[in-house]
Amino acid sequence: MRQALLLGIVMSVSLLAQTPAEKDGKAVFDKWCTPCHGAEAPKRSMFVNGALPGTAALALKYQGRVPAVLEQRTDLKPAYIKTVVRHGLYGMPISRKTEISDAELDDVVAYLTENRKK
Amino acid sequence: MVLPPNVSEADFNAALNEFRSAVGANWVFTSDEDVALYRDSYSIYWGEPEERVASAAVAPSKVDEVQQVVRTANKYRIPLYPISTGRNLTYGGSAPTMRGSVVLDLKRMNRILEVDEKRAFALVEPGVSYFDLYNYIRERNLKVMLDVPDPGWGSPVGNSLDHGAGYTSAHFRDHFGSHCGMEVVTPEGDLVRTGMGALPNSETWQEFRYGAGPYIDGLFTQSNFGVVTKMGFWLMPMPENYLYGTITVPRYQDLEPLIQEVSYFEDLGLLGMPSYGSPLGGGLMGPPAPALTELMQNGWPTADALENFVASQKRPAWSVELNFYGPEETVRANWQAAKRRFAKAIPGAAFQDGELLALPIPKEKEATQGDKPRLGIPALEVFTIATRNPINNADPPDGHADFFAYVPRKASAVWAAARVMYETYREMGVPPMHHPFSTPINYYSRCFIVATLVPTYRNAAKNAKSRELFGKVMDRCAEHGFGCYRTSPAFQDRLMSKYSFNNNALLRFHQKIKDSIDPNGVISPGRYGIWPAKMRGNRG
Repeated sequence: MRQALLLGIVMSVSLLAQTPAEKDGKAVFDKWCTPCHGAEAPKRSMFVNGALPGTAALALKYQGRVPAVLEQRTDLKPAYIKTVVRHGLYGMPISRKTEISDAELDDVVAYLTENRKK
Repeated sequence: MVLPPNVSEADFNAALNEFRSAVGANWVFTSDEDVALYRDSYSIYWGEPEERVASAAVAPSKVDEVQQVVRTANKYRIPLYPISTGRNLTYGGSAPTMRGSVVLDLKRMNRILEVDEKRAFALVEPGVSYFDLYNYIRERNLKVMLDVPDPGWGSPVGNSLDHGAGYTSAHFRDHFGSHCGMEVVTPEGDLVRTGMGALPNSETWQEFRYGAGPYIDGLFTQSNFGVVTKMGFWLMPMPENYLYGTITVPRYQDLEPLIQEVSYFEDLGLLGMPSYGSPLGGGLMGPPAPALTELMQNGWPTADALENFVASQKRPAWSVELNFYGPEETVRANWQAAKRRFAKAIPGAAFQDGELLALPIPKEKEATQGDKPRLGIPALEVFTIATRNPINNADPPDGHADFFAYVPRKASAVWAAARVMYETYREMGVPPMHHPFSTPINYYSRCFIVATLVPTYRNAAKNAKSRELFGKVMDRCAEHGFGCYRTSPAFQDRLMSKYSFNNNALLRFHQKIKDSIDPNGVISPGRYGIWPAKMRGNRG
């Protein structure tokens, strides 16, 4: 109970501290990134049970050295995020500016990097 | 900087300026950095001279802007390559068929013009994705269900025009087959509405597809005869429930009666896409199971050896999951009827009841819901088979080229196609993915698919091997009459050369249409082997 209360306080503080860019960035992230990089995966699937493509790939790649879920990372750098979104990486394809504008990409960067220092 | 073929730099720049006037300077992309975003991420020619890269991109937001761009293209003979959401990955993505084309990026045309809940149809522009349309329907709590393909970021318009398919009932999962009415900018910039859309004051554009006179909608699929700017789609009324159940059969030879019984229910319109499997295989797109690999040490086993192998494994040879949509009373009754018929037709058939799910799936349960496309929920989970996974972890690919061979809906054809692919892989020195327990995919209800995924890389040497393998699979399958239905620009000429009845009469007919309606050859030169006369040469 006490832990839940504490967690609630921490979450409220972090929400309050969210900048407009981070807030907008989360909306862009939810639309474009979550289907592959989300935290919740289906338990039963005709493809691979319990896996989303991006999250499962990063779990294999990093073997626990960093979290597989992007929203739990504290080490991502803006230039790296932009490079991956605009150039693709392995099975992740390029995203065009008519899909994710430069301003929206800046917001995603803010969401994944601001207030997440180690 | 890449220029379109046979276009001077001065003319190209003049055209770009007219494009800017038409759509706004922000929406004409010419810098190397911006144009590179239109590369095909999964190109099998990545970084090689043959890679189909664009010269520029132009992104209109309205139909009249599309018309202006097309007219300018005619004036300066600029080849345009229309894309919808540009996510046709493995089939070319957002890159053109011909190097130097200007990509006509329709992603900004993203209006959902109508969703009629009672009459169960939608009318959308090409930039609308399945995710967009799904969210629109759910936010308004409309009682209709989409049929979605595996990747939800695709466009209903683009997916239908490239013959994409989904998972629910047969008459919805053929996405072109479930469309009704389209609007097309012709290659010379005119505007046509098909079917009842041609009748002023008609309200039945999305209800009666034929109108009067020749039905021309099919001409705009996998072609270069126009730019589709609107399309209507029939939707499934939201079923109250979804029920699935699994049937297993004990013997190798039971696949044929299994297919016959499934097809009976399928052709009555009682099923969603049946999902075939084999407990003795290796899973979808995976390598063969270890015991099977051992059995195949000396090549493809005889029928007797396969039957003995099945008996020794003490597991069923085949499975099929049946899916039903509708009121609880009818889906349960259909599953009961299936049990009765399969038990009678196939001695030893066994049945496992699946879940009954109330539809729609509540929003809070969506993320963890399995098999989303079967429930009309767009997702991207299919990519787990091709991104880094336990099978490819040592050398993850950068993409894949899919080869879907269309084969007759019978067991002997499934086995024959799997064996063709197996032999081709062996001939090429590549570990085969196929084996005697490979199972068909049933996207289109009347025909089976036996599929293979060839990896692509951002590495020329590896891609050269992938190209050789992919081309060989295409050649060998065609020799057996197994035609592939869709491929990337790198293989479209080769694919169409296989459809060669009567000295390529079909392609010659396509070319005559092209010459008539697109005399300047500005729309997607080369798409599915259709080159404008001036570029035809020895092609096609």
